[in-house]
Amino acid sequence: MTREHNLDPRTKLVIVLCLSTLGIAVNNLALLSAIALLSYVAASLFRANLKRTFRKIKSLIYMLLFIALVQSIFTRGEPLLSAGGFAILTVNGVERALQFILRMAIVIFSATIIGTSSSRSIIQGLVQWKLPYDIAFMAALGIRFLPMLREEIRDSLVAIQLRGIDIKNIPIKERISLYSYLFNPLLVGTLLKAERLSIAMEMRGFRAYDKRTSYLVLKFTKLDYLIMFFSIAITAVFLIISYM
Amino acid sequence: MDVIEISNLYFRYSKREEYLLKGLSLRVRKGELLAITGESGCGKSTLLSIICGIIPHIRKGEIEGEVKLFGREVRDMAIRDISKEVGIVFQDPDSQIFLPTVEDEIAFGPENLMVPREEIGLRIERALKAVNMEEYRLENPNNLSGGQKQLIAIASVLAMETDILLLDEVMSQIDEDGKDKIKRTILNLHREGKTMVIVDHDIDNLSLADRVLELKSGMLREFKGW
Repeated sequence: MTREHNLDPRTKLVIVLCLSTLGIAVNNLALLSAIALLSYVAASLFRANLKRTFRKIKSLIYMLLFIALVQSIFTRGEPLLSAGGFAILTVNGVERALQFILRMAIVIFSATIIGTSSSRSIIQGLVQWKLPYDIAFMAALGIRFLPMLREEIRDSLVAIQLRGIDIKNIPIKERISLYSYLFNPLLVGTLLKAERLSIAMEMRGFRAYDKRTSYLVLKFTKLDYLIMFFSIAITAVFLIISYM
Repeated sequence: MDVIEISNLYFRYSKREEYLLKGLSLRVRKGELLAITGESGCGKSTLLSIICGIIPHIRKGEIEGEVKLFGREVRDMAIRDISKEVGIVFQDPDSQIFLPTVEDEIAFGPENLMVPREEIGLRIERALKAVNMEEYRLENPNNLSGGQKQLIAIASVLAMETDILLLDEVMSQIDEDGKDKIKRTILNLHREGKTMVIVDHDIDNLSLADRVLELKSGMLREFKGW
C-alpha cells in the first residue's frame, strides 16, 4: 500500500513551496544551514523514506558535489588555498559551493515530503486548487513515466549484457556509442506505451466533459491550517532576518 | 436484438495498399459471448478498435461500410458517447493502469462520466465483487500479479457499466492461474447478461464462448478448428 501521511497534500505543497522559496531567496550560510536542517526535520516528521531517496539519487549527489567543487575553484576572491601564486580555492568559492549544496539539500528534503502523498491525492489537491484536471493528470502521468523509462533502460542494458558485452569494462567511447544505439528503441517504446495509455484513458471517458466528479474529496483539518500558518510565518521570519 | 451490426466493412491503415478487412459483416446479439480468433496480424484487434471507435476517432485509417452500436453509426458518435456504451480491455495491463490504488483506478472511468460520488462508491464495490478482488481495494496495482492487474483493468471498465465489453487478448500475458480467474469472471459476467466480444489467438481461451468466429483474409467465418 502507498505510504501516505494523513495531512492534506495541499498543506505539504505549501510547506514545500515555503522551503524552496527560502532555499532560493536566502544567501546567508548560517540561515541556509538552519533551513536545510528544518527541511530534514520536516521530512523526518512526515516519515519520508530518506534512505531510499539517497540510494536513488546517489549518482546525482556525486554530480552535485562535482559541480560544487568546480564552482569553488572558478570563483574569484580571497585565496584560501593557493599553489605557486595561483588561487585554487577562494573563500567566496567555498561559500558559493556550500550555498549550492545546502540549496540542493533543501530541494531534495522538501521533495521527499511530497512523496509521502499518493499521486492521486496530489492531483486532487491541485484540482481543488482550481488547476484544470487534465493538466493535473498529465503532470502526474509524466512523473509515472520516469520510473517506467528507467526500467526500460535497465532492461535494455541487461539484454545487451546477456549478449556478452560487459558494459562496465568497455572504453568510454564505445560505451557512448552503445547508449546512442539504445536511444531510438527506448524513445519509440516509451512513445508507444504513452499512446496505449492515452487511448485506454480516452476509452474510459477522460476529457469527455469539461469537469469530472471525484470519489476522493480532500478536506483541510484544523491541523492543516495550523501547519500552513506556521510554515508561512516561519518563512516570513527567515526572509526578514535574511534581508535585514 | 443486435447491439453490434457491421456490414460490408473494408478497412486499411493509412499508407498501406492492401485492405486488412475486406467486406466483413458481423452481428452480435444482446447478452451474447462472441469469440473471434485468427492468426497474429490478421486484424482482430483492429476490428475491436473499429467497434469501439478508436478507429477512426483516435487512430486514422480508411473505412468503408457500416459499423453500428445500438443502431447508431460509430463514426458519427463522439468518443464520450461510445465510452458509455462500450468498454474495452487491452492486452497489456501495465498500459491501462496508472493510479496508485485499485480504488482510484476503478473510480477513474465513472469520475470522467460525471457519476455522483455515492454512486461511484457502489460501482467500485460491485466491480471488485465481479472480479473477486474486494480485499485489494486499497492496494497499489504495481504490487499485484499480471493476472490480478488484468482483473483490475477489467473491473475498471466494468465500473463504467457499459452494455458491451470488448476483451482484446486479455489472457495473452497471464499465467495459468490468472487465466482461470479471468475465465471465471467472464463466465459470471456472461451469466449476468453482459454482451462480450473476446479476441484471442489461443483457442483454449475461447472455449467459454457461445460462438467462435475466425478472422482470415479480412473476412469472418465460422471457426472449425485449425
